Amino acid sequence: MLLAAVLDAAAPGHEVDVAVASRSAALELPGWARVAGHLVVEERREGPRWLVRVRRGPGRRVLAEPLPPPGAPARLRSGEFRTGDWRAPAGPPPEAADATEGLVPLAAVAESGAPAFRWALHRRDQVWADDVGRLVEGATGAQWDASRDVPWREAAGLPDHLEHAVCQVMTYLAQNEYAAYYVPARYLGQVHPAYTEVLLWLASHVHDEARHVEVFTKRALVGGVRAYALASTQRSLHALLEERDFTASALLLNVLGEGSFLDLLDFVAAHAPDAATAAAARLAHRDELRHVRFGLSHVRRALERDPAIETRLVAAVEARASRLAGMTGLDSLVTESLTLMAAGSLQPAQLSEAARAVRDLQERMAANRVERLREAGLGEATARHVSDLHTPNLM
Amino acid sequence: MPDPGRTLLVGAVAYHPRVVTVWEGFRPYFAERGLDVDYVLYSNYERLVDALLSGQVHLAWNTNTAYVSAEARLGGDALVLGMRDVDAAYATVLVARRGVEVPAGLPGATLALGSRDSGHAAILPLHYLRAEGVPLDDVRLLRFDTDLGKHGDTGDSELRVLEAVARGDAVAGAIGDATWARLRAEGAAETADLAVVWRSPTYFHCCFTARPDLDREAAGRWLELLLDMSYDDPAMRHPMDLEGVKRWLPGDKSGYADLTAAMRQQGYLS
Repeated sequence: MLLAAVLDAAAPGHEVDVAVASRSAALELPGWARVAGHLVVEERREGPRWLVRVRRGPGRRVLAEPLPPPGAPARLRSGEFRTGDWRAPAGPPPEAADATEGLVPLAAVAESGAPAFRWALHRRDQVWADDVGRLVEGATGAQWDASRDVPWREAAGLPDHLEHAVCQVMTYLAQNEYAAYYVPARYLGQVHPAYTEVLLWLASHVHDEARHVEVFTKRALVGGVRAYALASTQRSLHALLEERDFTASALLLNVLGEGSFLDLLDFVAAHAPDAATAAAARLAHRDELRHVRFGLSHVRRALERDPAIETRLVAAVEARASRLAGMTGLDSLVTESLTLMAAGSLQPAQLSEAARAVRDLQERMAANRVERLREAGLGEATARHVSDLHTPNLM
Repeated sequence: MPDPGRTLLVGAVAYHPRVVTVWEGFRPYFAERGLDVDYVLYSNYERLVDALLSGQVHLAWNTNTAYVSAEARLGGDALVLGMRDVDAAYATVLVARRGVEVPAGLPGATLALGSRDSGHAAILPLHYLRAEGVPLDDVRLLRFDTDLGKHGDTGDSELRVLEAVARGDAVAGAIGDATWARLRAEGAAETADLAVVWRSPTYFHCCFTARPDLDREAAGRWLELLLDMSYDDPAMRHPMDLEGVKRWLPGDKSGYADLTAAMRQQGYLS
């Protein structure tokens, strides 16, 4: 191995003397050299050692430019090598990457002769968010466990009607989380490795959503009752999955859908009749905050770089709205279940107060949606238009 | 007989499925440079030599034993039109468990050999050991005649040789030095407790063999392009790696005298 390294660095024709202490090693060197493309030109014994002279062959071992000289070591913060800091040694993400280039880790020198890849997303503006490195770091540090981090025993003992209501809300949430899983999962295989932070981000997003599906499904299952997977919810989500543009998906899923979910999960956590439901909603809310942050950051950057894409984004929202033209509001079964859950009892006064709380929630969602769209870089009128067109299903 | 003006037909032995990948990689190289090369695969070298002699193919990608056989049948008029860098200065090594003295320890002991039609793993080691004065009548031979007809190309019999030596069924075993280097580089378990204890003189291994009546221009163009093939060409690296070549050499007849003598002595040539 040592000899291979020495010969690699040497010029073709250069001769290297090797002294070995064992006769057996001296006997096998000529075969090794020939197979490696070199040649043993002299062998002799000298005292207790064997001297073998190897002439380097003409071929390059790796079909690439020589490695550049070492640069400065990476910056550590309190001993941590953070993802947000790796661009200092690795260099900035390229404006456009070669769509056919293969699996080349950041700053590595690519060897020629690799098969051609075909990355659909190979331009920085298609996928980038300036704080993506920091968001990845946050995602890694905020992982949790849907089996152990929720006090599942606390879910027991609810009256039947309340358990049914919770089960229906949880089933609705899980349905939505499937869509939030499939959307980033689709793009995961399309992003060029030059934007590795985006890959790490999407992987964490997918992982988060898988856990959300898990935790809400578990909460639905734990009490033994069952609920409906509503067709209206599926219709809305199906239309979301049909979007094929990364930035439009970020707007529809991260900004609009998950943005609305922040308010919904807040509501569930505040009104949950048991600690398990509250914990599940709170844990998912923490992740959704990051997802919304990415969406805002990516869409805002994309609009700043190319204001013309606003038309495309609005068209995507309009196209989806037209597919959902028959939907007039959140499915009544979900609204009723939210109300029953918030009321905690069947007393008319509490039911009426809970119904008001659900109406307030929907108003709060609409107001926050416009605010988020403004933060994403849309003008006031466009933001209102887009918010009004957003699916009544919330995601 | 195929028309060399149109297509140069190369015969090779399909000792492994990768042979197809190799030749599918080589064909476009020649085609892009104006030489139409095609290949025909045979299941064994005896059939390939017959095909060369009967004119079914223009060139045979031969082992050294196949070349010697063709050369003998052509009355010494065969043409050599290229060989791999690894084929020049080929050698056989004897491997043994550590501490075994070879060839001193061979008389009265067992020597493992690869397929009896393999130049490097059977015919030549016996020839060179006899030349060194080892009394072969006093050595028990443990032969692994697997893949006969492939002349040791598959490496299977050499692997069995190593296993036999590692198990203690033989005191030493003969394999090609390139085979040993490759297995060692791969970290093959069979090599773990063994060491090279003897190395033969060098000889040539494979070569492209042609009949003397091959069209001179086609032969010249073939050799020119073969020698020009570069391991630094990304398109050629994969097929060249599979063929175990980093550089093609013109080749000549100087490295086959020992094998010719050995094959005659051991009854492989009439």
